Amino acid sequence: MIPDAFLTIGASLLQAGGMLAAAPLLRTAIKKMKARLQNRQGPPLLQGYYDLAKLIRKEPVRSETASWVYVAGPRVYFAAAVAATTLVPVLVAVAPLEAAGGILLLVGTLAFGRFALATAALDTGSPFGGMGASRDMTIAALAEPALMLGLFAQALAAGTMNLGVLVRALVQQGPSWHPSDLLAFAGLFIIVIAETGRIPVDNPATHLELTMIHEAMVLEYAGPDLALVEWASAVKELLYLTLLVNLFMPVGIATSVETEALFVALMAWTGKVFLLAIAVTVVESTNAKLRLFRVPELVSVSLGLAFLALAIRFL
Amino acid sequence: MMPFDSANALPVTLAFRLGVIALTLALSGRSRAARRVAFVGSAMASVVTGLMAADVLRAGAGVDGVLLLHQASGLALVYAVDGLSAWFLIVLSVLAVPIAVYNLGYVAHPHLSGRSVFLGVTFNVLVGAVETVFAAGDVITFLCAWELMTLATAALVVTEHEERASRRAAYLYLVMSHLGTGCLIAGFLALASASEALTFSTLLSHAPTDGSMRNVLFALFFVGFGVKAGIVPLHVWLPEAHPAAPTSISAFMSGVLIKTGIYGLVRVCAFGLGVPLLSWGVLVVVVGGLSALLGVLYALMQHDLKRLLAYHSIENIGIILLGLGAGMIGLTYGRSDVATLGVSASLYHVLNHAVFKGLLFLGAGGVVMATGTRQIERLGGLLHRMPWTGLCFLIGALAISGLPPLNGFASEWLTFQAFLFGFRGSTEPLVHLLFPIGGALLALTTALAAACFVKAFGISFLALPRSRAAAEAHESPAVMLAPQVCLAALCLGLGVFPGFVLGTLNPVVASLPGFPPPADIAGGSMAMVSGLESFDRVVPAMFGVALMGGAVVALLLTARRGATARRVPTWGCGGELTARTEYTATAFTKPLMLIFAALYRPSRQVEALTEVSPYFTREVRYRSEIEPTFERHVYEPLVRAVLRVAGGMKVLQAGSLHAYLGYVIAMVVTLVLFVWWTS
Repeated sequence: MIPDAFLTIGASLLQAGGMLAAAPLLRTAIKKMKARLQNRQGPPLLQGYYDLAKLIRKEPVRSETASWVYVAGPRVYFAAAVAATTLVPVLVAVAPLEAAGGILLLVGTLAFGRFALATAALDTGSPFGGMGASRDMTIAALAEPALMLGLFAQALAAGTMNLGVLVRALVQQGPSWHPSDLLAFAGLFIIVIAETGRIPVDNPATHLELTMIHEAMVLEYAGPDLALVEWASAVKELLYLTLLVNLFMPVGIATSVETEALFVALMAWTGKVFLLAIAVTVVESTNAKLRLFRVPELVSVSLGLAFLALAIRFL
Repeated sequence: MMPFDSANALPVTLAFRLGVIALTLALSGRSRAARRVAFVGSAMASVVTGLMAADVLRAGAGVDGVLLLHQASGLALVYAVDGLSAWFLIVLSVLAVPIAVYNLGYVAHPHLSGRSVFLGVTFNVLVGAVETVFAAGDVITFLCAWELMTLATAALVVTEHEERASRRAAYLYLVMSHLGTGCLIAGFLALASASEALTFSTLLSHAPTDGSMRNVLFALFFVGFGVKAGIVPLHVWLPEAHPAAPTSISAFMSGVLIKTGIYGLVRVCAFGLGVPLLSWGVLVVVVGGLSALLGVLYALMQHDLKRLLAYHSIENIGIILLGLGAGMIGLTYGRSDVATLGVSASLYHVLNHAVFKGLLFLGAGGVVMATGTRQIERLGGLLHRMPWTGLCFLIGALAISGLPPLNGFASEWLTFQAFLFGFRGSTEPLVHLLFPIGGALLALTTALAAACFVKAFGISFLALPRSRAAAEAHESPAVMLAPQVCLAALCLGLGVFPGFVLGTLNPVVASLPGFPPPADIAGGSMAMVSGLESFDRVVPAMFGVALMGGAVVALLLTARRGATARRVPTWGCGGELTARTEYTATAFTKPLMLIFAALYRPSRQVEALTEVSPYFTREVRYRSEIEPTFERHVYEPLVRAVLRVAGGMKVLQAGSLHAYLGYVIAMVVTLVLFVWWTS
């Protein structure tokens, strides 16, 4: 029993640490690719780490109207993102904490982080915080049913809601090429775009009042507080892409803990996440940001796709 | 001290309550003493009832007996506490004790203390009546207690009878309740005509097993109990009556009173009339989904704290019905595992909703007392002045938003499982799609509830105060805070030990007709398991540890510079930042209002008042409202039709004695002719 518990804790720490370490790279890579598409040089690949290191060393500055909720917000957001990484299989077809829960717990965890950050955003009294929180919660509320339905489509096909069991079942049955996979993937991809605050839903590079969503919510944060928010957002993005990769193309994922298999899995995972990152970049570079009130239409497309995926598989 | 004997506990506590009521009335000149007697007595009686109910669940055997026997007529009021009754009695006690303690401080407020005796007596009557409703063994006892409960609630709703709104709310409540009671009486009469005794068990065992009569009975009971539960579209009384009552009473109404409707639905509608038909289960799921979604959507648009919470009661009743409906469909298909999941989810949520909604209402009561307003647009910054109330309210907000590891998550997780696990193996195409749609609806509802409580907590408790009253608010006394802290702890406890709750629920579910000894869905006291472990399981405590681990990492990362933060004014875009530049609750929910404009049909009026020149605006008046769809398009035509018919009937009731004598003679002749014709 005790070695088992140690194994779980060790694996969780390793996976959470790994995801934390890799996440800033993904964000910078997307920025870099986007810059290249615009004929710019773009930041160096390690810029994400430099930024975080700089922010963590800065002096924290907080609003004088804010209470402890403002301080707790980024910490809870970060904690939720870190806890969420332990619920998803990344390199091995086992999630370290898969005994704790499956898809529903994962969605709940991310919702918890969002709740904390949105509440904290209201604490400074700045209208930006409220505006961002309002928009973020609105889009999240609309995206959540689509996210759930998309995940359900995949989960019900395999007969389990547990992500570890689910990925193992997918590996065992091999690639299915069922049309419902494509539909569910397309639906979830839209949701990932919406949840990670990318164009056409949100623009991560803007600080223009009228178009900000996530950035408005965290506008007042500075220094180490901001570092936590940025880092957690990066982890969340990497987590969503990993989820897509492992739920729809679990090729190469390790089914045993051997050095060789792990190495292959690392290569495969990096490659697949990189491919998805290219897709995100292309979508971001070739689309204009949607008006806020057009976003529900986009999300309902995703909802419709997920629903169709369920319908053609089970009717 | 006497050994605890659960067999006679109920009559004894009810008699004790009567004594408390008498003593309270005797102390009518001394409000402080009256309060103490009434509320301490009520809390003690509730503790005993709760222990009795727990004893019934532990022993696995019900208790029954006679409350009152009238020798001459042979009429007896009997009680029978089985598993289901015991569960609802526990829910009642879990909330009634903190509310009674809270009332010690709340009713002492100068605003209410003049009505101490009235509130003390009526509160005891209400709690006693609800206890009797849950414990009633036969229809007569049930209906008597049901009516007493309705009247006591109406009396409490008009506590502030000087307000026209309170009187109207109570009137609406009475009309709707009696509509429901009428349906119940009709249903019970129809059942009683086929049965020789009036006890529930005999009555329901003689229920018709086929034919259209079953559907009629189901419809009558569904409407009858549905009015009390506040399901859409029978909910119109709820958002009026809940805010009008004193807040501690609102907590009781929301946490317990509307659950009497759920109790009736589970006991009679869902499983009492034989194996439920597929159409019944589908109806319950559809009505539940509608209630959940419309409840939360209307709640989002409310900026009156108590009305907002009242609409969330409709939402949560919807979630309870979603689980119940899934369970009914499971039973129809003979899938007892799905049925167990659904009914457990439903009953678990009954308890959870009582705890977190009670907590939120008690917090709101403290806020209203401290600031004198229920409008969250006039609050703000309360966390600095009311830190404990704020913390407890935040925990309640997290729980009602279904976030792990609190209790709302546990029961919503189970409801999801009922839908998703039930999806596997059902055959009817309609049902097949109903299950994932139900899941998606639940997801949307939960996410919208989270948005609503970010608003409710954020606008009321954070940032700058928006009015003088909010700036000068002060923390509630300890006697009001202690119950909130207990309920907040319970939110966490019920969320971290879901297996323990499910273990307690096992005998309850097993006592329902048509259920086999339940499959074990509690994997130990901390886990929940659905469908043989491989489908899904959840251990909220383990997740809680992971979350804490993440928080520790965050604290370590910022430890170097996190301790000493420089405090600066918030940037106000170059202007001065005041309460007037803060984001408002209206603005917060405006995107959702525009997205769901088809439902809300918002209207707005902007009026610029000018003085001398049209170019210098003195003030701008802005008015925005949403259309109360049900009130305007369902109830107004109905009321008009009733009034028209009543107007037509006036011709008959002209006030002439001769005409009335004529009616009597005509009636007698008709009856004689009828008898002659039939014989």
